[in-house]
Amino acid sequence: MEQFSFLQKIFRLSLFCFLLVFMTLIPALQGVNKAYGDDEDIDEDRVIELGKKVYETRCMICHGSKGDGKGFAGITRRVEKNGRVLKNYARDFTMGVFRFRTTPNGCLPDDEDLMKIISNGVSRSFMPPHKDILSLEEKKSVIEYIKTFSERWEEEDPCDVIEVKKPDWVGSSLSVKKGERVYKEMKCWECHGEEGKGDGPKSDKIKDDWGKPILPFNFVTGELKRGSSAENIYITFTTGLDGTGMPSYEDSLNEEDRWHLVSYTLKLMGKLKSLH
Amino acid sequence: MKKIMVFTVVVALLIPALSFARKAKYEVVEVNNGGGIQGTVKTSLKVKDPVVPINIQPKEDPKETEIERKTCGKTQQAGIYIVSPSNEVKNVLVIVEGVKKGKAAPKTDLTINNNKCRFEPLVSISYVKSNYIVKNSDPLFHNTSLGVLLKDKRRAVYNLALPYQNQEIKKRNRVAGLIDLKCDAHSWMRAYVYSSRHPYVTITDANGNYELKDLLPGKYTVRFWHEGFQEETKEVEVKAGKVSKLDVSFSKTRKPDFLGRL
Ligand code: HEC
Ligand code: HEC
Repeated sequence: MEQFSFLQKIFRLSLFCFLLVFMTLIPALQGVNKAYGDDEDIDEDRVIELGKKVYETRCMICHGSKGDGKGFAGITRRVEKNGRVLKNYARDFTMGVFRFRTTPNGCLPDDEDLMKIISNGVSRSFMPPHKDILSLEEKKSVIEYIKTFSERWEEEDPCDVIEVKKPDWVGSSLSVKKGERVYKEMKCWECHGEEGKGDGPKSDKIKDDWGKPILPFNFVTGELKRGSSAENIYITFTTGLDGTGMPSYEDSLNEEDRWHLVSYTLKLMGKLKSLH
Repeated sequence: MKKIMVFTVVVALLIPALSFARKAKYEVVEVNNGGGIQGTVKTSLKVKDPVVPINIQPKEDPKETEIERKTCGKTQQAGIYIVSPSNEVKNVLVIVEGVKKGKAAPKTDLTINNNKCRFEPLVSISYVKSNYIVKNSDPLFHNTSLGVLLKDKRRAVYNLALPYQNQEIKKRNRVAGLIDLKCDAHSWMRAYVYSSRHPYVTITDANGNYELKDLLPGKYTVRFWHEGFQEETKEVEVKAGKVSKLDVSFSKTRKPDFLGRL
C-alpha cells in the first residue's frame, strides 16, 4: 500500500515538474495551460492556496494565523441558566487533536467529520455554520489547509470509522428505564450530575489538555456541541472527546446498553418527543 | 532539453525521498558484539517528599462518598523523591535518544493498575506495537487518560473510562514518546510511561543504578528524566564488548505538573 502511494507520488510529481518545465518553455500553448488548470488532482498546491484564502477570511479571526486558536476574537463566554460560565477557546490546530470524530478514541478524524463540523458549526461554542457561506470546493480546501498546522496528519495512519445503526426501540419507555441504570453504573453522573446538569462531584476539577478548566455537558440545555441527534450522543461516549476529559466507553459498554443510555440522555435533554 | 528532463526527474525523485526521511524509523539488526552503558543517578540537593492532601467532593449518596474516602485515603505520600541515604535517585527514566539501529524491542505488554487511587507503577516502559493493559482495582470510577508530552504540549493518546471494579481494557500502543497519565476524576493521580520503538530505555533502581546492554558501537545521547528534577542529557561513546560508565547528578528541582492540578 505504502509502495503504491510512493510510486503514485513519484508519478504525480514527475508529471507536475514536467508540466512546469513544459509550460515555462512554451507559454504560447494555451491548450496545455488550460488542461493543467482544470485537473484538480494534479495541483495540490492550488488546493492549499485556496484553503489558505478561505482560512484567512473565515477562520483566522478565531483560530489564529498560526492555527493555534489564538485569534483576535479571543475567549468567548456563555453563562448557563444555573449560573455556570462556559468558556470557549477556538480549537488549536497545531495540536492535531479533534473532539467531534466518528473514529475511535485517540484517532484523527476523517474528512467527513471535519466537513460536518465546518458545515454545521459548533453550537454553544460560537463557531458559526459555513454550510451556505462556502462552496464544497472551498470547504474541502480549507480542510486540507488546517491539516498543514500539525505534522500528526503525516505521521499517523487514519483509523476506520465506527458504524452507527440506531435500533427502532430507542426512546421507548422501557429503554429509558434501562438507560437510567446504565447512566448510574457507568458513573456518567460523577461528571455530568445525577440530573444531567453538568454539576457532578468531579465537575469542578476537570482540565482539558491545554490545562484550562472545562465543564461537563449540561444535558438540560438540550443542545450538543456537535449537534443533538441520538446518533451523536451514541458516538460521543463511544469515541470520547479527545483532549477534554470526556472518556471513551467503547470498551466498557455493549451495543444494547449504549442505546439504552442514549434513550435516557434524550429524556434528560427533553428530546424524547422529537425522536418520533 | 535532455538535461532539464534529467534534472526534473531527479528533483521529482528526491522530494518524496526527503519527506520519507522525516518519519523516524527504527531498523532491527542482530547485535553480536555490542557495548553497554552503566551508571548511577544521584542528586546534590536535599529534597523532601511532599504529602498530598486528598479531597473527595460529597456525592448524592453518602455511602458512595464513604467508599471513595476509604479507598483513596485522606492523604497520600507523593513518592516523587525516593532518594537513598547516599543521595541515589530511584525512578529516573534513562533513555538513549535517536537510536536508528539495534536489537528488536521486547513484545511485553505493560499493565497499568488503578489501585487505591494511584497508578501502579509510577514510572514504566512500554514498547510501540505492544499493548497497554489498563486495570481498575478500586470499587469506584476511574478514567485513565494518556497523553504524549511534546515540546510544550500534552497530546491526547487515549482516554478510557473504567467505571467498575476489576475492569481491564487492552489497547495497542501506537504512539512513541514520553507519555503522561492522569485521571480526570482524581486530580492527584499521575504516572509516566516511556513508549519506545527500541529496547534501549530503563529505569533506575533504589540505589540509583541503571544498565543498558547490547548497543551497536557508536556515539549516543542519553536523556535522564525525572518528574521532580530538571532533566539532564549526556553524550557517551559505546565500544564493542565494553561497558561505558555514565553517572549523573541532578542539581535542580522541578515542580511536577500534577501538583498544580490539585
Ligand atoms: C467565531 C469563532 C470561530 C470561527 C469564525 C471559526 N471557528 Fe472553528 N471553532 C471555534 C471554537 C470556539 C471551536 C471549539 C468548539 C468546542 O469544542 O468548544 C472551534 C472548533 C473547530 C474545529 C474542531 C472540531 C473538533 O472536532 O474538535 C474545527 C475543525 C474548526 N473549528 C474549523 C473551522 C474552520 C475551517 C473555520 C473557517 C471556515 C472555523 N472553524 C471558523 C470558533 C470558530
Ligand atoms: C470524567 C468526567 C466525565 C465522565 C465520567 C463522562 N463525561 Fe461526558 N463530558 C465530560 C466533559 C468534560 C465534557 C465536555 C466536553 C466539551 O465541552 O467539549 C463532556 C461532554 C459530553 C457530551 C456532550 C458532547 C457535545 O457534543 O457537546 C455528552 C453527550 C456526554 N459527555 C455524555 C456522557 C455520557 C453518556 C457519559 C457516561 C457514559 C459521560 N459523558 C461520562 C466529562 C465526562
